[in-house]
Amino acid sequence: MIDWTAFLIVAVVTWAAALLIVAAYSMGVRLLAVAKDKGANVGLNKSGAYACFTLCGLIVAFGVVLIVPQLSEAILGIS
Amino acid sequence: MDLTLIVVLVIALALFFDFTNGFHDTANAMATPIATGAISPKKAVALAAILNLVGAFLSTEVAKTISGGIINEDPTTGVAIGPAMIFAGLMGAVIWNLLTWLLGLPSSSSHALFGGLVGAAIVGAGFGAVNYGVLLSKVLLPAIVAPLIAGISAYLCTKLAYAITKRQSGTSPKRGGFRYGQIFSSSLVALSHGTNDAQKTMGVITLTLVASGLQDAGTPVHFWVVAACAFAIALGTYTGGWRIIQTMGSGLTDVKPAQGFAAEMSTASAILTSSHLGFALSTTQVASGSVIGSGLGRKGAEVRWGTAGRIALGWLFTLPAAAIVGGLAAWITHAGTVGVIIVAVAGLVSMLAIWVLSRKNPHTHETAMSDIDNSGAAVNILSKKERRAKAKAEAKAKQAALRAKAEREEAEEEKVDKA
Repeated sequence: MIDWTAFLIVAVVTWAAALLIVAAYSMGVRLLAVAKDKGANVGLNKSGAYACFTLCGLIVAFGVVLIVPQLSEAILGIS
Repeated sequence: MDLTLIVVLVIALALFFDFTNGFHDTANAMATPIATGAISPKKAVALAAILNLVGAFLSTEVAKTISGGIINEDPTTGVAIGPAMIFAGLMGAVIWNLLTWLLGLPSSSSHALFGGLVGAAIVGAGFGAVNYGVLLSKVLLPAIVAPLIAGISAYLCTKLAYAITKRQSGTSPKRGGFRYGQIFSSSLVALSHGTNDAQKTMGVITLTLVASGLQDAGTPVHFWVVAACAFAIALGTYTGGWRIIQTMGSGLTDVKPAQGFAAEMSTASAILTSSHLGFALSTTQVASGSVIGSGLGRKGAEVRWGTAGRIALGWLFTLPAAAIVGGLAAWITHAGTVGVIIVAVAGLVSMLAIWVLSRKNPHTHETAMSDIDNSGAAVNILSKKERRAKAKAEAKAKQAALRAKAEREEAEEEKVDKA
């Protein structure tokens, strides 16, 4: 009667999504801090940081696409 | 009583409930980025309102849980309870919400809503009117599991964020960047709030439409219902925003940007996934779970079990208490039109009375403003100095114990020698 798999899905998806986003953002923050070090490659570190922030946004956008039925049908072709 | 009139009454009351929900809850999402100065209060409140509006349009799974799951359907008449019973249930929820707000008790407006509906359904149509399986698997169990999932997630994320940003050789970690991340994570929390809380009202309105025969059971939520609920919660969020601007700087728990980011990300992902699977959650409870979890993820944190226990007790109490109020209202409604009028008047009078009372002594309620903030108090984070002092005290106690043991042994040896 109780759908335990649904709880498992919520747990796994929550942990995976939150950890991935936090990891990516933290990496970005770290790279920005490294870019301010003496003798660091400012351009490389900064672009790495912005790549991390973009990745964050992409993960969130993917999540929203999965949740909205119209979007997931239009973009991913699944309903 | 005229059928359409009572339907209009229920819809109006449901939208009022939605409005208070936005007014009460959503401001919480934006409190931290305002506190850290990452975003101006005006912009934050407007952003939260817009995202609630958008969130309400994203999904209707939770609305389906409420309109087609919890209350059993009668094969002949559609739904076992009439719109008058739903009106009674809603009134019970509204009264209970205002009462707990006045007394400063931790409560959940969502659970008050379910409690009121269940109570009214039981009184109105007997114990068979409620589908306990759905109630258990989509409301009660998620209420325990989701905050736990969010809390564990926040704990792990906080540890991860600090581990990744930690710099060797004593250079500053520059974690200020998380402040701007909090604009992003708070926005997601506001969005997720719209997907879950606005849908509860949609579910109630749809349930009413089905119960009064204006909509076929099992059909999707009407677009105008979605739009009305979305605007009600957005308006509530916007008008509720002045409050956080007022209470800013006072009483906010010590939340660091990196920790806040981790907590908000966990809250948002837990609520969004749950909404997608049709779990009707209390967003306040999930956010509280995250705040406590992320607090524990910081160095030198310890749980104040007394505070945590009091919050948990409040949550446990909400559903049955609201059920009793809802049941009582349903019982009065049974008297027909007179009953409905009595319930409506009683509800209005209690709303007015509570509003007047809260005006009289607003200061006692400042602490009850934010339930999430209250739950933050359940974790005590020691500063470096306090940690050192605690370690010293523990070492001292250990030494004292060792010394006492040695002395005791010596005394015993002496005794043996004497003998």
